[in-house]
Amino acid sequence: MASDDHHIPNGSTTTPPDIQFEFAHHDPAIARINNGSFGSCPSSVISAQQDWQLKWLQQPDDFYFNTLKPSILKARLIIRDLINADHVEEISIVDNATTAAAIVLQHVTWSFLSSQFQPGDAAIILHYAYGAVKKSLQAYVARAGGQIIEVKLPFPVNSDEEIIQEFRKALELGRMNGRKIRLALIDHITSMPSVVIPVKELVKMCREEDVDQIFVDGAHSIGCVDIDVKDIGADYYTSNLHKWFFCPPAVAFLYCKKSDILNQLHHPVVSHEYGNGLAIESSWIGTRDYSAQLVVPEVMDFVNRFDGGIDGIKKRNHEKVVEMAIMLAKAWGTHLGVPPHMCSSMAMVGLPACLGIFSHSDGLKLRAYLRDCFKVEVPIYHREPEKGEDSPITGYARISHQVYNTVEDYYKFRDAVNKLVNDGVTCAFLSD
Amino acid sequence: MNLYLLLLLVSFVSCHQHNQKLEPLAQGTPKRRRWVVEKREKKKKKKKKKKKKREQMEDPQANGDHNHNHIPKKLKLSSPSSFISDSEIRQEFAHHQLGIARINNGSFGSCPASIIAAQKQWQLRFLQQPDDFFFNHLQNGILRSRTLITSLINADHVDEVSIVDNATTAAAIVLQHVGWAFAEGRFQKGDAVVMLHCAFQAVKKSIEAYVTRAGGSVIVVQLPFPVHSDQEIIAEFRKGLAMGKAHGRKVRLAIIDHITSMPCVVIPVRELVQICREEGVEQVFVDAAHAIGSVHVDVKEIGADFYVSNLHKWFFCPPSVAFLYCRKSPIALDLHHPVVSHEYGNGLAIESAWIGTRDYSSQLVVPDVLDFVNRFEGGIAGIRKRNHDAVVRMGELLARAWGTHLGSPPEMCPSMAMVGLPSSLRISSDDDALKLRTHLRDHFEVEVPIYYQALKDGEIGGDNWDGRVAGYARISHQVYNTVDDYLKLRDAINQLVKDGVTCNNLP
Repeated sequence: MASDDHHIPNGSTTTPPDIQFEFAHHDPAIARINNGSFGSCPSSVISAQQDWQLKWLQQPDDFYFNTLKPSILKARLIIRDLINADHVEEISIVDNATTAAAIVLQHVTWSFLSSQFQPGDAAIILHYAYGAVKKSLQAYVARAGGQIIEVKLPFPVNSDEEIIQEFRKALELGRMNGRKIRLALIDHITSMPSVVIPVKELVKMCREEDVDQIFVDGAHSIGCVDIDVKDIGADYYTSNLHKWFFCPPAVAFLYCKKSDILNQLHHPVVSHEYGNGLAIESSWIGTRDYSAQLVVPEVMDFVNRFDGGIDGIKKRNHEKVVEMAIMLAKAWGTHLGVPPHMCSSMAMVGLPACLGIFSHSDGLKLRAYLRDCFKVEVPIYHREPEKGEDSPITGYARISHQVYNTVEDYYKFRDAVNKLVNDGVTCAFLSD
Repeated sequence: MNLYLLLLLVSFVSCHQHNQKLEPLAQGTPKRRRWVVEKREKKKKKKKKKKKKREQMEDPQANGDHNHNHIPKKLKLSSPSSFISDSEIRQEFAHHQLGIARINNGSFGSCPASIIAAQKQWQLRFLQQPDDFFFNHLQNGILRSRTLITSLINADHVDEVSIVDNATTAAAIVLQHVGWAFAEGRFQKGDAVVMLHCAFQAVKKSIEAYVTRAGGSVIVVQLPFPVHSDQEIIAEFRKGLAMGKAHGRKVRLAIIDHITSMPCVVIPVRELVQICREEGVEQVFVDAAHAIGSVHVDVKEIGADFYVSNLHKWFFCPPSVAFLYCRKSPIALDLHHPVVSHEYGNGLAIESAWIGTRDYSSQLVVPDVLDFVNRFEGGIAGIRKRNHDAVVRMGELLARAWGTHLGSPPEMCPSMAMVGLPSSLRISSDDDALKLRTHLRDHFEVEVPIYYQALKDGEIGGDNWDGRVAGYARISHQVYNTVDDYLKLRDAINQLVKDGVTCNNLP
């Protein structure tokens, strides 16, 4: 950490003086440059969460009858304003984007089973859609008779246009022979590789091409990129608050634009509130610890201690991660996988080809090796080279920047990779 | 029985050793003698304390029933000093709100401070380095818990045991599977699912969401309450099931509570499962939300296909964690967690062990909970027995004080009992019951759920409240309860009766 706690190297006064205390529980030995996977939570929010947990343990009946529901409503109201939704009924709080996907996709199942959709009707997703979401599509759409169309996107990618073109092509293909596209599932920020997708344009295209419903999986978005759900125009939008919005694990919102269909959505864990609307159903799915959902007000207090609040944090994270990515690419003689404007608070940095990352499992091995031997935590992405590519870069590190990161974290990573290269280490030599 | 003999032997040996120590030792240092005397004094104090507690469980205001010898002599042996003491128990539950007579362990359970501390450790480990936790520790931790549960419930194989949030989630898993069976043509429209009339409300909704919606029909079996014997339940169930099967309807699934929630009764599940098999019911799902830590659970003996119980109710886990036992079968392979993630298709237990980023810490403290219960005499079996004995005793105390009765005989009470409320309170609806519960909480600092008993067919209601018990309090007893909790409830109700309060004129 820079010696003057008030300043980060580029000179802006942006960091509260107690930032080290807030993240003192992070393992100090690790260069933790993977905020994207599991997020992070400051001590003041953990402490607030523990207060809520204690309240429950003290007198659970009283908490259940008098405190829980109004507190969840308070969180939903804050989220509504954060994302520019119209009505609080449009905001449900669930565990995570995985749960949100199950909710939307289970509804698709019922549509097939009740013959509203016909066998062969399609759902269109990005090839880079999150693995868990793809499984959910298998479980709920394919199993019910739906077809899944995957849109292959280029990577490395150089502009929004490339993405828009591929998506348009896939939509046209999808609609061939009069096939109906019932659902488009579009990532706002893909996970691996991490790219900011031009969702507004893609949603517009879907509307023009008569796609029934659009679900934006914005798992990474809140606290990372701007979200205006009305502007984006999708029917459903989900994002995890525990990734980039400083909440404890786990809490996400699912926005569902007001419509007739909204009444037909259900939480798959059915409890007393079944039939009272998704938001109310989701606020009680049996006895559980709901405390992660209740600390949203305390998180607002936390982010507002930063210059520019959450917007300031987003901006500085983005600038920093791009700066660090460029530094790493220079040091290794590689490149960024996406241009800066398509990076969020994460960036894809090419790894030296000599490391020999030739498969997904190579990526996992290298990640484990970096963790165990160099104390660097960073996920590695493997990319299949195109035919005829000359000495292709097949491995990319997805680096994150969050408020607790320092430039030393990235130097540590730089030096680790340089050492591996110097020692002639390849993934083939790493143990499983 | 073996445990008793062992205790007897241990006590004899330690007594014997103790007596030996009174002889001058080879060293004979004053320090040693002092230690020996102190130890003997400590033991005397402990004996006195135990006797006092037993006496406290009797109500001095009861009608001359001062039976100080109601605890059999054999249990008067002094316990080894390693058992948890009363003051340690108080410490473990010191976070419970002071001043509240908390006699509703059944609804939301309870968790001792040492388990909360253990849970916090797990939470911290995730926050410290979540990637490492995810890749290297989480799955092992969950497997360890599953393995312990497997032996607790006498399942054959750890593959049969999945950990989920709660019984509500388990119901969704089993019922979603039924939904698919209808959708995919394995079940025909109109095929039936059987449930008890008093099944938990959330489960009823789940049946609506997954069975009725998919084209299945529902057979509701009425059980009697108040109830007097297992035989009554067995007879009613047999009747209800036979009626439901009329016209050759196929019964695909029976959902049977092990301990019903409201009103609370221990159901003879083994016999009911047997009847189901005889009547050709395809699958049986036992909803035993309250069971573990409350009654003896042996899933092989009970013989159901699916069995779920919450560990956060009576088994001291933090909210929330439950196990879903699925007897090994081809059908078990087709069960899925509704929140689909990376592990989809790898078996329910593995699917349930990762349903996206969440706090799994409550699932990881099962080993710590076993340590906790084993600090009690007789472990969890001892706790169950003492809870049961105490809640029956308290139930009878209250029934005597109010001139009412228990809703079921002692042998059909677990660690909860249904105690009739005075008719003068005129509890006429579920709303009335809730109002009374709120009033007791807000004005008397007593937390106890109230059950409204609707009139049976043919019963004359109207304004005839003479002696009619239309409401029951479901009292619980857990290790942190004291007799004062129940005296507080007794006095609160007596006060309401004295003041002529009826549910009508409650706010």
